[in-house]
Amino acid sequence: MSNKETIINVADSDNQVHQIQDNLLPSNHQKEQPVERKGWTFGQKFALRVSVIFFLIMSIPTSWDWYKNLFGINWFSIHYRDIYDIARFNPNIFQFSPKYGLLGYSEWLAILGVAIVGALIWTSIERKPKLNYDSLYYWIRVVVRYRAGIGIIGFGYTKLFPTQMPYPSLGLLNTNFGDMTAQKIYWLSVGIVPWYQVFAGLVELAAGTLLFFRKTTTLGAVLLLGALGDITYVNFAYDGGVHIYASYFVLFAVFLLWYDAQPIYNLIIRERFTLPRVYYPKLSEKWQRYTRIGLKVATIWIFLIYLFYAEVLNFKYDPYKQPAMKGVSVLRGNYHVSEFKINNQPVAYSSIDSVRWRDVAFEKWSTLTYNVNRPVKLDLSNGGGSPMRDINRTFELTGAAGGKRVFYYDADTINHVLYLQDKYVAAIKRDKGKGKKKDAANADHKKGDKNWIPKEALANIGDENLKIGAAALSTRRSRGIVEEQKDKRKRNHMILKYSTTDGNHVILTGVNDQKDSVYIVLDRYKRDYVLKDSKLVAGKY
Amino acid sequence: MSISNNQPNKPWKDYEKILFRFFFIYFLIQVVPLDWKYYAHLFSINWADLQFSDIFYISRYTPQITGHYAAGEWGLNTLADWGTIALLALIGTSIWSITDKKSQHYNQLYYWLRVLLRYRLAIGIIAYGFIKFFPLQASYPSISNLNTSYGDFNRWKLFALSLGIVPGYETFLGLVEIIAGLLLLFRKTTTFGALIILLFTGNVFLSNLAYDGGEGIYSLYLVSIAVFLIWFDLQRLYILVALRQPVQPNQLKPVYLHAWQKNGRLVFKGLVIFFFMVLYGDKTYAAYTHGGYHYPQAKGLKGSEGIYHVSTFKLNNQEHPQSDTDSLRWQDVVFEKWTTISIKTFKKQILDSVSTEEAPVKDFDRDYELAGSGGRSYYHYTIDTANKVLHLTNKNKHYPTDQLILHYTRPDSSSLVLSGVDQRKDSVYAVLSKIIKKYLLKEAAKGRSKSISRL
Repeated sequence: MSNKETIINVADSDNQVHQIQDNLLPSNHQKEQPVERKGWTFGQKFALRVSVIFFLIMSIPTSWDWYKNLFGINWFSIHYRDIYDIARFNPNIFQFSPKYGLLGYSEWLAILGVAIVGALIWTSIERKPKLNYDSLYYWIRVVVRYRAGIGIIGFGYTKLFPTQMPYPSLGLLNTNFGDMTAQKIYWLSVGIVPWYQVFAGLVELAAGTLLFFRKTTTLGAVLLLGALGDITYVNFAYDGGVHIYASYFVLFAVFLLWYDAQPIYNLIIRERFTLPRVYYPKLSEKWQRYTRIGLKVATIWIFLIYLFYAEVLNFKYDPYKQPAMKGVSVLRGNYHVSEFKINNQPVAYSSIDSVRWRDVAFEKWSTLTYNVNRPVKLDLSNGGGSPMRDINRTFELTGAAGGKRVFYYDADTINHVLYLQDKYVAAIKRDKGKGKKKDAANADHKKGDKNWIPKEALANIGDENLKIGAAALSTRRSRGIVEEQKDKRKRNHMILKYSTTDGNHVILTGVNDQKDSVYIVLDRYKRDYVLKDSKLVAGKY
Repeated sequence: MSISNNQPNKPWKDYEKILFRFFFIYFLIQVVPLDWKYYAHLFSINWADLQFSDIFYISRYTPQITGHYAAGEWGLNTLADWGTIALLALIGTSIWSITDKKSQHYNQLYYWLRVLLRYRLAIGIIAYGFIKFFPLQASYPSISNLNTSYGDFNRWKLFALSLGIVPGYETFLGLVEIIAGLLLLFRKTTTFGALIILLFTGNVFLSNLAYDGGEGIYSLYLVSIAVFLIWFDLQRLYILVALRQPVQPNQLKPVYLHAWQKNGRLVFKGLVIFFFMVLYGDKTYAAYTHGGYHYPQAKGLKGSEGIYHVSTFKLNNQEHPQSDTDSLRWQDVVFEKWTTISIKTFKKQILDSVSTEEAPVKDFDRDYELAGSGGRSYYHYTIDTANKVLHLTNKNKHYPTDQLILHYTRPDSSSLVLSGVDQRKDSVYAVLSKIIKKYLLKEAAKGRSKSISRL
């Protein structure tokens, strides 16, 4: 079963596989000549030139924001998103509009066009002393390996420490299946099984790590192709919205696999004696060797080790898709509305009433949610991104309907008052680099009442930046909160005083978002969900 | 027929021989239908009216040494069976090792074992491939399912429903399985087929663990065969792509000495492809065009399909106002397109749960709609159109006595009045009015461009 006898050691030779002498080949080999690697044909060279230009453009960050992030990072007060944003970028030179022309692949096609034109020019000006195409192929593969490896590791960690797909909040558990978008249903279907998400993260992480090493590149590319091929299809099927970035990795994986495809075909399907492609550059100068090792070590340190640390902090204290601050401790869980008065008029329970609250829940974080039987405006985004303020973390409401209202609150726990703000807010047009227009768009929204929370209450509420575990405080969070506080879009708000002893029986009184006075009696109940929760839970509440 | 080997038959190392003996016996017991109970099952099949489910169950053969056999269905084996089989294989290996001192290698047996496993794995994976390719395995959620809270499903059910909303994706997954199975039917492409199964079914295995599915052991069974098949080429691939050294290919190939061997092989292959691809594919397609096997076939009360608000509800002439705490009061009622009514109440229920793929024939036994779903009571019903009476029976096996006999009147096309008695002879009276319900799931599926801003 062993082939060891026939192994010819060429590992230390430099692309000399075709020099193997015939007498080293097994004598009883069916007179098949090994498929020898010939020189580069014209067509192969041209294809490589196109590939080099194409994958270089695809692998080089071209957005100003990327560089702004990179140079703005405080490496001594790290946030996972600092490193994640280095790992995650799409080619964005052309930025066609509409964005989703050709399913969104117009950018790629344009880059391919540039690559072909570039390759044509290259072909016409290349002079006699020829480039070493083996070397060129080797180096573009290095670029592609590292780009794909770093990119997928950025994603892998948000699954390894399951924060990418959060466990459904009470509000979502209480939402009917048919009242969600397909995208939401897919996200939640992974969120309910955190250990499975960990496994998916391990696969992505393994794929990425294997790409950092030449000997394991093909295996890494197979894993990457399998995992991201599925994710691409999932994004099309569930309208996930990130099919472009997922297929980006599929493309990179296919390019990497191409290298070994022919030899593997020759060995397994044709069952012939096979020579692998081997080319390792000679790094003869000391500085070359040091540079190589230095870059490799830096990559592994930043994207495998330091990012690991940053992700642990994020998972433990600040899971990025759900609010991070604790809610009021006594107010947690599901509540029946036993009494509901609006402008002193009692309203009896009815599942089709458009005013009376139903399915009230206080999340373990700073959110109050309830349902009314009235159409409400919907946010169909994926609730992702990297908002630092809890009010902007919208996963608990995006892609869900059924008259669901979701309010963020600041609690003055001394005077027992909740200052609530609607988490739904009309989306900002996020045209990057058009900052001035953004402000103009905001002018449409009437300026929110700035001082609706009294100064004294603000003092009791405290600084939201400091309300998460001290270990997870970071420069990015501090800057981000200041930046997001400048957002003046108008939100619905309510001021509700709560009175309770142990949280089982709560009376809310105050003014709702329609400026009507409300009197609401809540009684907590334990809802036994069929869905079994997991012990692997993000955040500290 | 013999297996040619261009290399002189190298003697195997002792440990290689011992390992081989073990796996040979182990896999032989796992895949060759030796279990007598299985033949009892085969005889119970109505071959004249073969259903896709019959072939599906045949494809899922696993020996059940420790289990008991119930007529008409062929279940899956357990880890206890695996342990027993491993023990038998150990004993067999010992005897074999003592008695066989002559054999230098088992190239012949290895080849034939691989043939056996290739076909076993191909049949198994193709059977699941077709019920995804024609999206049957995960059905689109019923109206009742759409009106059940996310938290009122168990994990397995959410997994099935989440796949059920994207039939195109399910077809794609089925296609991957069918292609992997086809690759296994040819010696030279076996490794690629097995690799796809390792990645695909390996994921299915972990999904079964994560979502409390009932087919974890079976998927691991398929994965174990795939791993054994890949093993054959693994060292060669490792030398080629990792060590980057020249490699000798596989030298073991069958040589056909007589024409009948060649023909026999083709006939066998043809039969397998006919039975498990053509015939089975045709039967699954037929099942698909008849609306699948998860939901009942018989049509429900004409024009009743939809969800209803219960505006008035009386028990023993006592009016129960709407409430979210009264466990007796009906909250809403769903009439499915088929003969199922589901009623939402706040009464805590014992869950009916099935987590393996089953294809019951009788409508009443088709319990997919309630499997793993809480929050509602599911009733199968028959219609007496002459007397305008519905006979309801709870489909949940934990409530066999829960039955209702309800007279119905339809004041207009969007209302229904039900009155009658339940199993305790208590009188029930309910006025239902249809809710015009728009589901975000369906609205959003119409495309982003027409995005809905309010619902």
